[in-house]
Amino acid sequence: MASVWLAVLALLLAGPVPSVLARARWPQRVPRAAIVLWQAIALAAVLAAVGSALAAPEELLRALGPEDRRGTPMVVAVVVAATVAGLIVLRLLGVLALLAVRTRRRRARHRDMVDLLDRAERSAALGGFGARTVLRVLDGAVPFAYCVPGRAPRVVVTDGALDTLDDDELRAVLAHEQAHLDARHDLVREGFVALHQAFPVLVRSRQARDAVGLLLEMLADDAGRARCSDAAMAGALEAFVAAGDAEVAARLERVRAHRCGGPALATGTYLVAAAVVVVPTVAVVIPWLSQALPAAGFLR
Amino acid sequence: MALGELERAVMAQLWAAPGPLTVREVHDRLERELAYTTVMTVLGRLAKKGVVRQERDGKAYRYAAASTREQLAASLMLDALGDVGEDRTAALVAFVDRVGPEEAAALRAALRDAPAPAARPLPEVPEPRVDGEDTGPGS
Repeated sequence: MASVWLAVLALLLAGPVPSVLARARWPQRVPRAAIVLWQAIALAAVLAAVGSALAAPEELLRALGPEDRRGTPMVVAVVVAATVAGLIVLRLLGVLALLAVRTRRRRARHRDMVDLLDRAERSAALGGFGARTVLRVLDGAVPFAYCVPGRAPRVVVTDGALDTLDDDELRAVLAHEQAHLDARHDLVREGFVALHQAFPVLVRSRQARDAVGLLLEMLADDAGRARCSDAAMAGALEAFVAAGDAEVAARLERVRAHRCGGPALATGTYLVAAAVVVVPTVAVVIPWLSQALPAAGFLR
Repeated sequence: MALGELERAVMAQLWAAPGPLTVREVHDRLERELAYTTVMTVLGRLAKKGVVRQERDGKAYRYAAASTREQLAASLMLDALGDVGEDRTAALVAFVDRVGPEEAAALRAALRDAPAPAARPLPEVPEPRVDGEDTGPGS
């Protein structure tokens, strides 16, 4: 039954669970714990799918009579199981590798261009803000700020952003970008982008990617709030907000409401995250192994 | 002086110049104590990056920026905005992910209308959507 249980678990973690979690509001109170929970769900879903495929032939073997064990059905079952498990793992690793190469190439080129375009006199004038990362200022009236992660990171702001933000708001924005860089939020995002590219249909990987993206922004917003104030962070978000952007509206509302979860909610979320990975292993895989290994002639 | 800063200074001269410049002209405009060969090296690096065009003029080469400052800035902003549709490679992290449609349109117009030679946009990476078939890096 292990194979069936793992398959059910994989389907639950790939479909209904992300759907429900993406709609829930409480994760926004504890963004860091919620991101860990999303990661645990993704990991458990992949492990359950692979485990289900690998457990299937052995269970078939035990279900069949002794005379059928060396027959064609058994060979077919083993080949199918290995193929399914292999495809899942190779697909994910392949997409991840390709994405990593393309991301780093695009980033390196972007960094080169930002360095060339920098308005050195304006970025030098921002020295008083104590940024720990190389700052670049671009021409342009559109208020905009972003960071280029990596080993030689950059924080980029436009002229428009400098004109729009007051000093406190700018400090909050810089703290937000620094939080992204310090905690390597790009790597977290990269994992979920890869998951979505590898399994774009059937699986609710888009919800996962978008929900985690928003939670990462909220986590960085919290860094800005801690460094400056809720008012400064809200002011910065307001200055950048484009009409009708639901994500920014959610971030703004959250900062304005001073919303933030207590340690109990965070601890609970971490415990659930751990359980999502550990419980299936203990409840399904270990009993299965204790049956399968003796049956296969190990651990006699 | 750092190579990066030198590249930036050279680009500033090329953007400010009315037409293509020779290495000597760039060297003279920089107003710094630099070897001629250093300027030549920097121009070579910039050409390799695709931001500088090299054209033969008799015996000498002349150098010009491949796109205007405004075009390059607009293409960077579009890249940062993830304007390549569904492709979110997580290469960059924007403070606010999507600027409004008017702003994005203005950036695209800046890219299109600037009166200089065609801009060389940042490499766009189409995302494999439903079928998930990748076409390979940099294709």
